[in-house]
Amino acid sequence: MANLKDIKRKISSVKGTQKTTRAMKLVSSAKLKRAEEVAKRSKIYASKLTELLGEIAQKMNQSEGEIDNIFFRENKNPSKVDIVFVSADKGLCGGFNYQTIKRTNKLLKEFGDAGVEVRLSGVGKKGIAFYKYNKQEMLNEIEGLSASPNYEDASKFISLLVEDYIAGKTDKIILVYNGYVNMITQEIVEQQLLPVDMSNIKLNAVSLSELEIEPDDDDTLMDALVRKYIEYSMYYGLLTSLAGEHSARMQAMDAATKNAGEMVQKLTVKYNKARQEAITTELIEIISGMESLK
Amino acid sequence: MKLMKLEIVTPLGVIFDDEVKQVTIPGSEGEFGVLAGHASLVSLLDTGVIVIETKESKEISVAVNGGYVKVGEDKTLCVVDGAVALNAEDSNLANALAEAKELLAKAGESSMALASAMAKVDSMGKSI
Repeated sequence: MANLKDIKRKISSVKGTQKTTRAMKLVSSAKLKRAEEVAKRSKIYASKLTELLGEIAQKMNQSEGEIDNIFFRENKNPSKVDIVFVSADKGLCGGFNYQTIKRTNKLLKEFGDAGVEVRLSGVGKKGIAFYKYNKQEMLNEIEGLSASPNYEDASKFISLLVEDYIAGKTDKIILVYNGYVNMITQEIVEQQLLPVDMSNIKLNAVSLSELEIEPDDDDTLMDALVRKYIEYSMYYGLLTSLAGEHSARMQAMDAATKNAGEMVQKLTVKYNKARQEAITTELIEIISGMESLK
Repeated sequence: MKLMKLEIVTPLGVIFDDEVKQVTIPGSEGEFGVLAGHASLVSLLDTGVIVIETKESKEISVAVNGGYVKVGEDKTLCVVDGAVALNAEDSNLANALAEAKELLAKAGESSMALASAMAKVDSMGKSI
C-alpha cells in the first residue's frame, strides 16, 4: 500500500536526523572538554584574586572602620540598575538560553515593579534576539563573544559599565549567566558585580594590621584590583557559560538521539505491521477469487 | 636557609607552586627581593621578570606582564595576567624567550619598565 512507502521514507528521514544529532553531541562533548579545562584553570585564578581582594578590603576595614571606596559603597535605594546577561550564540541546547532569559526577565520585572530604572546589556545572539523581538531596549550588545570568550573584549565590554558606575550613571551592576556545574547540570548564577558584594568575600579573622600596601595610597591598588576583579568575573562568567552551553547541548543532543532511536523502532514496528497487513489482504483476495471460481 | 612557599597563578592556571629560598619581584614602586619571614605586603606588579631561587639553589626566571603580589610571612602569592617561564629546563628556550618578549611588548605601557625587562630577557638569553 502507499502507506508502506510513506513509513519507509519517514524512517530514513528520522535516521538522518539521528545522524546529525549524534554528530552534534560528539562535537559538543569534544568542545566541552576544552571549555571545562579552561574554566577550571580560571577558577583558581579567580579564587586567588578574590582572596587577595578580601584581604585588602579587610585590612582597610580594620584601619578605617568602614571601607570608604566608591566600589564598596552600597546604595540602599538604587535608582538605576544595570543588568548584564550572558547567553549562547547558538540554539539547540535545550532550555539553556531560556533559563538565562527567564531569570533576566524576573529581575527586569522586580526592578520595574520597584520603580527602578533598568538598563539591559547582553552577550550572545540568542538572548539579544529574544529582547529585540520583545522590543526591549538594550544598552550594549555583543555577539560572538560567548562562543569564543576572550579577555580583552570581555573587559572592554564591562569597562563601559564600570565607567558609568564611577560617573554615577548607574548604582548597581548585576551579571546573569547559566554556569557550568558538571556534565549534567548547569546553574543560573546571578552575581552582583558592583558595588562589590562583601558577603561573597570571606573575611578571615587573622589580624592583618601590619599589612603594607604599595603604592601606599590605598586607592591606586584598590582601584586596579577591583577593576581586575570585575573584568575577570565577567570573563569567568563567559567561560563557565560556554562550558555550560556545551554540556547543555550535549545533553539535549543525547536525548534527541535517543528519541530518534525510539522513533525508528516504533516506525519499524508500524512498517512491519503494515507489510503483514498488505500480505494478508492480498492472500484473502486470492483465496476469495479462487472461491468464486468454484 | 629557611624556605618559604611561592605560588604564581595566571588565568591559565597555577604555573609555580613550591618552596623557594628567595624571590625577586618587579613591584610597581621598584624591584624588591623577598626572603622567608618578610613583612606582610601587598603590591602592584609591573611588567618585568620574577627571579626565583629554588630550594636547590637553581635560578628560574618568569616574565610577567603585570598583576599583584601578596607577601605573607611564610607564603608569597603572585597573581599575574600572563607569564612565560624563561629558563625552565626545556630545550626550546629560544621559543620561550621570543614568547616572553612578545608578552612584555604587549603589556608594556611604561617604556622604562619595559626596557629594563627586555634587557633582562636579552642578558638571560646570552648567559645560557
